[in-house]
Amino acid sequence: MRFRSYALSLASLLSAACFAQKNAPVNGPADKSRIVAFTHATVHPSPGKTLTDATVLVQDGRILRVGQNGIAPADAVVYDLQGLHLWPGLVEPYSDLGMPAPDGNGQPKPAGARFWNPAVHPAVQAVRSYVPDEDKAASLRAQGFTTVITHRMDGIARGTSCAVLLGGRNANEDIIAPDAAAHFSFSKGSSKDAYPSSLMGSIALVRQAIYDARWYAMQGQREQSDADLQALSDQLDLPLVFEASDRNDVLRIASIGREFGLHFIVKGAGDEYARLGDILATGQPLIVPLVLPEAYDVEDPYEALEVGLAKLKHWELAPTNPARIAEAGGSFAFTAQGLKDPGAMWDVLRRMVRCGLDSTTAIAALTTVPAALFHLEQRLGVIAPGADANLIISSHHLLNEKNTIHETWCGGQRFVQKPIPGEDPRGTFDLNLRSSILKLKVTGALDKPEAEVSQPGSEGVREKATLEVVRGGVTLVFNGDRFGFKGPVRLNGSIHPRGGIWDGQGQMPGGEWIAWSAVRQAGAQTLPNKDKKDKAALDSLWSAPTGQVWFPLGAYGVPMLPDTELVVFRHATVWTNGPQGVLRDADVCIAQGRILGVGQKLDLGTLFTERRRPTVMEIDATGKHITCGIIDEHSHIAITRGVNEGSQAITAEVRIGDVTDPEDVDIYRNLAGGVTAVQQLHGSANPIGGQSALTKLRWGQNGEQMHIAGADGFIKFALGENVKQSNWGSEGSRFPQTRMGVEQLMYDAFHRAKEYHAEWTLAEAARPKQAKGRGRSAPEPSTALMPRRDLELDALAEILEGRRAITCHSYVQSEVAMLMDVADSMGFKVNTFTHILEGYKVAPRMKEHGVTASTFSDWWAYKMEVGDAIPYNAALLNEAGVNTCINSDDAEMSRRLNQEAAKAMKYGGASAEDAWKMVTLNPAKALHLDARMGSVEVGKDADIVLWSANPLSIEAKAEMTFVDGVRRFDLKQDTELRKATGAERERLITKMIAAKKAGAPASKAERKDKGHWHCETIGEEP
Amino acid sequence: MRSAGAVGSGSRQLQQTMGVAASCYCLLATVLLPLALNAQKPTPAPAQAKSILLKGGTVHVGDGTVIDDAAVGFRNGAIDFVGHSYGVTAAYDTTIITTDQHIYPGLILPDNSLGLHEVDLVRATSDEDDTGEMEPELRALSAYNTDSRIIPTVKSNGVLIAQVTPRGGTIAGTSSVVQLDAWDNASAAIRADDGVHMTWPKAFQRSGWWAEPGDTDKSKGDERAKRLTNIEDFFRKAAAYAKASTHAETDLRMEAMSGLFTGTKTLFINADGAQDIQESVLFASVMGVKRTVIVGGYDAWRLPDLLREKKVDVILRRVHGLPMRDDDDVDLPYRLPTLLKAKGIRFCLGYTGDMERMGSRNLAFLAGTASAYGLSKEDALQAITLDAARVLGIDQKYGSLVVGKSATLFISTGDALDMRTNNVTHAFIDGRHLDLDDHQKKLYRQYKRRYAKP
Repeated sequence: MRFRSYALSLASLLSAACFAQKNAPVNGPADKSRIVAFTHATVHPSPGKTLTDATVLVQDGRILRVGQNGIAPADAVVYDLQGLHLWPGLVEPYSDLGMPAPDGNGQPKPAGARFWNPAVHPAVQAVRSYVPDEDKAASLRAQGFTTVITHRMDGIARGTSCAVLLGGRNANEDIIAPDAAAHFSFSKGSSKDAYPSSLMGSIALVRQAIYDARWYAMQGQREQSDADLQALSDQLDLPLVFEASDRNDVLRIASIGREFGLHFIVKGAGDEYARLGDILATGQPLIVPLVLPEAYDVEDPYEALEVGLAKLKHWELAPTNPARIAEAGGSFAFTAQGLKDPGAMWDVLRRMVRCGLDSTTAIAALTTVPAALFHLEQRLGVIAPGADANLIISSHHLLNEKNTIHETWCGGQRFVQKPIPGEDPRGTFDLNLRSSILKLKVTGALDKPEAEVSQPGSEGVREKATLEVVRGGVTLVFNGDRFGFKGPVRLNGSIHPRGGIWDGQGQMPGGEWIAWSAVRQAGAQTLPNKDKKDKAALDSLWSAPTGQVWFPLGAYGVPMLPDTELVVFRHATVWTNGPQGVLRDADVCIAQGRILGVGQKLDLGTLFTERRRPTVMEIDATGKHITCGIIDEHSHIAITRGVNEGSQAITAEVRIGDVTDPEDVDIYRNLAGGVTAVQQLHGSANPIGGQSALTKLRWGQNGEQMHIAGADGFIKFALGENVKQSNWGSEGSRFPQTRMGVEQLMYDAFHRAKEYHAEWTLAEAARPKQAKGRGRSAPEPSTALMPRRDLELDALAEILEGRRAITCHSYVQSEVAMLMDVADSMGFKVNTFTHILEGYKVAPRMKEHGVTASTFSDWWAYKMEVGDAIPYNAALLNEAGVNTCINSDDAEMSRRLNQEAAKAMKYGGASAEDAWKMVTLNPAKALHLDARMGSVEVGKDADIVLWSANPLSIEAKAEMTFVDGVRRFDLKQDTELRKATGAERERLITKMIAAKKAGAPASKAERKDKGHWHCETIGEEP
Repeated sequence: MRSAGAVGSGSRQLQQTMGVAASCYCLLATVLLPLALNAQKPTPAPAQAKSILLKGGTVHVGDGTVIDDAAVGFRNGAIDFVGHSYGVTAAYDTTIITTDQHIYPGLILPDNSLGLHEVDLVRATSDEDDTGEMEPELRALSAYNTDSRIIPTVKSNGVLIAQVTPRGGTIAGTSSVVQLDAWDNASAAIRADDGVHMTWPKAFQRSGWWAEPGDTDKSKGDERAKRLTNIEDFFRKAAAYAKASTHAETDLRMEAMSGLFTGTKTLFINADGAQDIQESVLFASVMGVKRTVIVGGYDAWRLPDLLREKKVDVILRRVHGLPMRDDDDVDLPYRLPTLLKAKGIRFCLGYTGDMERMGSRNLAFLAGTASAYGLSKEDALQAITLDAARVLGIDQKYGSLVVGKSATLFISTGDALDMRTNNVTHAFIDGRHLDLDDHQKKLYRQYKRRYAKP
C-alpha cells in the first residue's frame, strides 16, 4: 500500500511538472514529458463512434494520436485497458466551482468607475477570482467531469466565466479559457439596491444596461467612464449564457435576444417540455439540469389535496424533458449543477434514457455539445489529436447501470476514482499447497472480498481466511490448524489476467517456502441486490410515462389546443351594445375568429358566399343570452414575480407584458366568469409605474400569444396615499410624500421627457439620410453620435407623442384635477382614471378632458382617501356623459363583473344596457379596442359569451366563452376537465405512492398558497 | 311615513297618497338639514309606539316557506300576524302597502369586525386586534362603535343584526351579537359575550412563496406542534378553572373561557382545511367544550359524519371567493352551500376576510350566488336569516318571520338576493322603524342636484 501511494504521488508530480507554469522559474532538474499510451481499450472518441481494441497516445496533456494497437513507442508508459472503456472527459457548462460565495450582506460596491446598479457588474471575471476547490473538483471528477465553465452566480449581469480543467493545479495551469462566456440572470442576487424588486424590473435593467453598453462603445466614453459598460460592451461577442428559472423565462430571454440581435444560450429549469414548440422556435441552445423533482408524500388523502396537479405532472414528465427536446430537434447540454448528490447523476441520466433519450445524444450533451457552446470543441469533449487529454476510464458504457468510473484524467493528470480490479477474485477455487488440495471460496463485494478455506469432501472443516487483492496481486492468510499445518499459512502471489489462475510463493508454518496455486472451478455467483430500493418496481415506474403534456401543465389544461369554430347560435337574447340594442330571438354567427352575422333569422346562405358552405355548428340558445366578452380594465391576474416595481418613483421602463404568466389558473376562472380580455396593470406603489399589457385570455397559449397584437401602448400612473407612501408605517424618505410633491414630480418627468424627445429629434435630423426612419428602436453600432437611449424617458415621450395612454390610479377630486391640469399644460391627455372613487365630484371636468372613469362598484373605507367613495359613483359619472367602466382589481371579483355591473342599476338607477356596457363596450373604448371588441356586431372579434340567463342577474352563468372564435370555456367541457383533472391526480398519486414504496425519496406535501396581486402589493412576494 | 297618522287599513288610494307624502318628507328633511351631511349618523329609531301592518306582496319567512299575497303585523316590537293578507283581523295603527314587494327577516351577519375598525389603513380607527396570543377576555362589545359610518350602509341593504368579533392571535376574544340601530353599546346588544373565537394553526405550511414555492419547512411543523400544545394546555387549565365557581385568585382569561364548558358560550374555530377541521372539532370535544362552530369550513363538506355527530355548525367562508386550491372546481366556493346542505350540515353564510366590514352589505348577494349554484332561493335566504340565528343562538327571537318573534325585518321592492332588484325601502328592528339614510346617499343626492339640468 505504502509503495502504491508513493507511486501515485510521484506520477502526479511528474506529469504536473510537464505542465508547470511556463513563466515560473524551474526548481531543480527540469522534468521531461513522457508519452502515455492507453492500449486495448474500447475508445469512444466522440458521441456515437466506437473503436474497439484501440490505442490512444497522450503527451504534454494533449492527445497525440488515436489508432490501432502497436502505435505506441517503445518507451511509452503503457496502461493496458483490455476490457475497459475510454471516454472523453465530461464538460460541466454551468458551475460556480472555485468562486467566492456571495456575501450575505451584499457585495461592497467595488472601487472604480462602475455601473450605478450593483446587480449589474459585468466587469467581474471568474479568471480573476478562481480559487481551486479540490473537494468539489474531486466530487465532479468522480462522475467523469474534467472541465467546468465556472462563474460567480450572483446578480443580473454577472460578468464572465472561465473554463477550468479539474487538474488540481493552480489557477494559471488549470484555467484554459479566461473569458469563456458572459453570464446573465433575472435575479439581482446579493445586491442590496432596492431596484429592481420585480422580474419586470430585472428585465428592464438588463435591456437598459445593454443599450447603455452599446451607447458607451460608440460615444459614451466622452461623457463618462464606466468599467462595467466597457466590459459589457466587450463581452457581447462572447457566448452569452442566460439563466431562466422556468420555461416561460426562456421565452422572455428570447425576446431580449431579438431586441438586440443577440443569441443567448439558456440555462433552463428542466421544464422546457411543457412549452417546447415555443422554446425551440427561439433557436436558443439550452443547458438542461439533471435535477429531477422528488415525489411527494401523498399517502394521507388530506395531505395529497395540497399537492397540485401541475406538480404531480411535472414529477412524472420531468425525466422526459431531454428526450422530448431531442426528438423535436432541439440542442441541449446537461448540467449537474444543483444536484444534491452528484453521484445521483447517472441514475437520473438512466431514467432519462429509459424515457426515450437516445444514449448518443445523452453523451453528446455531456461532452461535445457543451464544448461547442463555448467554442472549445477542438479541445474538449472528444478524443482526437490535439484535444486535451481529458479522459474517463470506465468498466462499461457510461450509461450502463453496472458501470464504474475507475479513473479520470484531466489534462494528462491522472485521478484514480475506483481502482481497476484485475480479475473478479470471487468464485470457488482448488487451492494447491504442496501435495494437498483445499477448497477456496471467495465471496463478498468486488472491492472487499471475503475468503474461506475448507477441506474438500468434509464441508464442516472450514476456516475464514484474510484475502487482500491489490492490483493483480493477492495475499491469502489462514490458520492451517484444521488442515494439519499447525499455524498460519501465508501466501502471496499474482492473479493471471483472464486466466482464473492464481499462483506464487508462500510460507508455511515453520518457515518453509512453497509454491502454490489456485485454479478457478466456478465463477462468482451474482449476489442478490442488497439495495433497499425495490429495483424491479422502480424500473417499471421509471419507464416512459403515459401522461401527456397539457397546455398549460396542470388543472384545466388540455393536451391539444382548441381551434376556431364555426358556430351559429339561434334564438338567443343578444345584447349587441350597438345601435340594434338588445335583440330578442336573434342569431349570432361566428367564423374564423370574427362575428359574421347578427340578427333575427340569420340566413347562412347569404353569410357564406363560397359555393360550398362550410359545416356550421348550430347551437340552440333559446332562453339564453349572448353578449360580447367582459373586459376587465384593471386586472392583476396572470402576472408573475412582482406587480410593482415600486423601488423608484418613476419606473416607466418596466413592462407588465414581460411578465405575463400564461399558466395562472385565474385565467381559466375568469373565462368561466365570461371575461375574455383584461388590461394587466402595473401596481400603484409609485407615481409613474410600468407599462400595461392588453391581454386576451387565450388559455393554453404562451404569454406573448395572449397579448393583443396591434393594441396601443398603455401605462400605469398613480396618485394619493400609495405613491406618497402614507400607509408604510413610518415617514418615508422617497420623494414625494405629499400630493404637492406628486404634482411637481409629474411636471419634472414630462419636462425631462420633452427635452429628451427634442434631443432625439435633433439627432435624427442631423443623421445621414439613409439611416433615417429607423426610430429609436434601432441600436446600431455604426450610427454616429446618437443620444443615449433611456427606456424610462422613451415611455414618457410616447405619452407626449400620443402613442401611449395613461391609466391613472386615483381617488380624491383634487389629485384628479391636478393630473388633468398637468396634462393640459404639457399637451397630452389622461386616458383613464382608474378607481376614481371621487370621480362623481369632478364629472364635468372629466367629461371635458375626455377621460374614462374606471371604478369599483361599491368599495370604500379601506383607506382614508376613500372615505367619500359612494356606490353611486358609476351611475353619476355615466349620467354626466363620462365613459364609465367597472373593473375588478381583484382575481375573485373579476369573475363576477357581471354582478358588479348590475350594482350600477341598484345604486343610481343605470339602465340595464348602460350597466352592461360598463364591463364591455366602455372598457373596450378605454383601451382603444372598440373597433374590434366590446360589442356583438359584424366584423368584430368573436369574443362571445353564452349566458344561462340575463347576464346582469344573480342567476347568470357563462355557459360558453369564445375568444377570437376559439371556445376557451364551456360548462360541459368543464365537467369533463374536472373528471380528467381528478383522474390524472388519482393516477399520479397512485404512482407516487408506489414510487415511495419502491424506495424513491419523497418529501412532505405542501400547500401552494396562491397569492393574488393587488395594486399595492410590493415586491415579488405578496 | 313615521308621521303618518292614518289608522287601520283604510283605502288603497289613501295609502298610496301616504307613500308619496312620506317620500316628500324625506326630501324635505334633507333640504332642511344640509349641515348634517357627513357629520351625523341617522338617528336611531325610537321604540315602536304604534302597531304596523305590512300588507300585500310576498313574505319570505326565513325557514324555507314563502307566503304570497301576504301580510305581516307587529306591535310593541313583536310580530303578531304572519299570513295571507285576507287573514288579517286585528286593527293596526299604520298600514304600509307592500303589493308586489318582498318582506324578509332582517339579515344576520356572523363573525364580522363591524364597528371595531373604521378605516383599514388608519391604525387609530382599529380596535379589532390586541397584542396577545390568547385573549378570550377581550370583549368586542366594549369597543363596538355604534356610530360607525359603515353601519348605515350595511343596514341599507337589509343587514340588521351582526356578530361583532375581534380578530388576531390564536384566541382573538369574545364576540357579541348586536342589532345595528342603537344609541349605545348596551342597547345594541342582543346576546352579549356569545362566543370565543379562535384560529386553528394550519396543518399545511411551506417556505418560499407562491410563484416560487419552497419545500415544506420542518421547523414550521415543529412550531405548529408547539402551538397546538400551548392551545391544549390553555384549554386544560380553562376546563379545570370552570369546574369551581369561586377562585382564590381571579384569572380574567380563565373567567372568559368558563362559559365554553358551562354552555353559556360557543367556541368559534376558524379552520378551512379538512385536517384542521377534523383536529379542532375532536379537540374541542375532548376538552369538554359544549358547543362548537367552525368558521371558514372550506373542506367541511368532506367531513359530514364528524360534524353531524358532534353537532358542529359552520359559518361558511365568503361564497364570493376563489377556490383554495388550483385543482379545485372553478365554482366550488359558489357550490359549498349546496354541498353542505346535501350533507346535512347546518351552516350560515359569512363575509369574513378582506374588506369584511364595508363589503358585508353584499351579504344578500352571497345567498343569491348560492341559489344560482344549487340552493333554492328560500334555502339560500335561510342561510342568512334563520340558520344564522340558530348558529348564533338567537333564533328564539330572531331569524324568521313568525308570530311571537321580534319584528326585525325589511321590505325590498324586488328580489333582495339579486343586486339588480335589491332595493330596501323600509326596515324595522324590534318593530322600530329605521331611518335608512346614510352619508353615501346624502352625497349622492347632493351631487345629483349639483348636476341636475335646470
